[in-house]
Amino acid sequence: MAKQQTEVRELQEGSYVMIDDAACKINAYSTAKPGKHGSAKARVEAKGVFDGKKRSLSQPVDAKIWVPIIERKNGQVVSVDGNDMQVMDLETYETLTMRIPEDVDVSPDENIEYLEMEDQRKIV
Amino acid sequence: MFPGASDEREETDTADQAVDPDRDGPNFVVVGAPLDVSTTFQPGTRFGPRRIRTFAEPFDDYDHRTDRHFSDLAVEDRGDVPAWDDAAEYLEYLTGTLRDVVWDDAIPLMLGGEHSVSLAGVRAVEPEVVVCLDAHLDLYDAYAGNELSHAAVTRRILEVDAVEEVVLLGVRTGSEAEWDRASEDDVTVVPPRDIADWSFGDRLEGRTVYLSVDIDAADPAYAPGTGTTEPFGLESRDMRDIVREVAPRSGGFDVVEVNDRDDGQAASLAGKLVREFVFSHADGT
Repeated sequence: MAKQQTEVRELQEGSYVMIDDAACKINAYSTAKPGKHGSAKARVEAKGVFDGKKRSLSQPVDAKIWVPIIERKNGQVVSVDGNDMQVMDLETYETLTMRIPEDVDVSPDENIEYLEMEDQRKIV
Repeated sequence: MFPGASDEREETDTADQAVDPDRDGPNFVVVGAPLDVSTTFQPGTRFGPRRIRTFAEPFDDYDHRTDRHFSDLAVEDRGDVPAWDDAAEYLEYLTGTLRDVVWDDAIPLMLGGEHSVSLAGVRAVEPEVVVCLDAHLDLYDAYAGNELSHAAVTRRILEVDAVEEVVLLGVRTGSEAEWDRASEDDVTVVPPRDIADWSFGDRLEGRTVYLSVDIDAADPAYAPGTGTTEPFGLESRDMRDIVREVAPRSGGFDVVEVNDRDDGQAASLAGKLVREFVFSHADGT
C-alpha cells in the first residue's frame, strides 16, 4: 500500500491518516496537555476516504503513524453504463471503470476529478 | 478504578453482557474529568473523580431492587482525562474522548470536575433533552467574563444544536438575568418544594436524553463537599428517584461538582447515584 510514516504531532485537520488499515481524512484533531506527569496525547477524528466510515484514534503525539499517499487525478467520462462509468485518465490516457456514487450525476465527455490510492478511487 | 468496573486493559468475562449482542465491549464507560478552573467559591473539584471512586468502595456489588450485580453489567473505567488550564481546549479533547464511547454504543458515565465538563458530555451525546439536577440555574451568559464558567454551563448547553430543551430540577437560586432566561420555553425549572408532585409525563418519550447531576442540588446536609452550597435543597432520596426514572432513557450521565471539603458525604452520594443510574439503565432498557 502506498503510505509513508510520520508522527501523530504532524497530523492536522484536512490531511490524511491510516486508521484500522483504511485511508481517512481528518476532520478533528485535538491535543491533551496534561501537567507534569502525563504525556501529551492527540485524538484524531476522521472519515474513511473511500468508505465514508467515521473512525478515531487516540495516541501519544510522538507515536509513529502511517499516512496514505493519495493522488488527485483528472479524468474524462467516456461512457456510462448503469452504476458504472468508463473514465479515461487525462495524464496516462488509460481507461478504467469506476462505480458512480449515488449522489453524483455524470454524463459522457464530462471532466471529473478523483482521488486514487492503489486500486481505490473516489470522485471528488 | 470505580469499584465493580473493569480496566479497559483487562480481559473481562462481561462481553456477553453487552446491550447489543453483535458487539463486544462495555455497556458503560466511566471517565473522570477533574477540571477545576472556574469554581467560584470553594475549589477542589479536581479531587472529585478520585473521591467518588474511593467512597464507592463500601457499596455492595449486589442490588436487591433490580436483582443485579454491578460487576456483571460491563462497566469499564478508563481513568481520568487529566485537566489543564485552557478550558476550551480541554472540553474539546474531553468531548472527543466521550464521543469515542458513544460511537462504541456505550453510555458515558462522567465524574466531575466542575459543571463545565457537562458541556463535553452533551456535545458527545447530542441529546434532544437535558435533565439536570442543580441548586443553580447556571444560565449566566458569562460569569466574571468567562463564557465557559461552571455558572454558565446550562446556557452553553442550550446552544448545542441538538438540544431542544433543558429541565432543571432542584433549582433554588439564580441572578435576575438568569431567571429571565429561564422563563423562556426551552427551560423548565422545578424547585425542591415541587419535586414530589412533579412528573415528566411523556416529555422524554422517544427522545434522546442526557442526565447531569450537580451534587449541590442536594441539601448541603447531604453533600457538604461541594463548591457553592445552597440550603433548602433536595433530599438524597428524591435525587435517587429522579435518576432511577431518567436513566433508562439516557444516552449519557454525569455527576459533577464534588470536592474534597467534607468527610466523603458528597462523594458517597455521587457514587451511589452512578450505581443507581447503571442498575436502572440496565433494568429498564
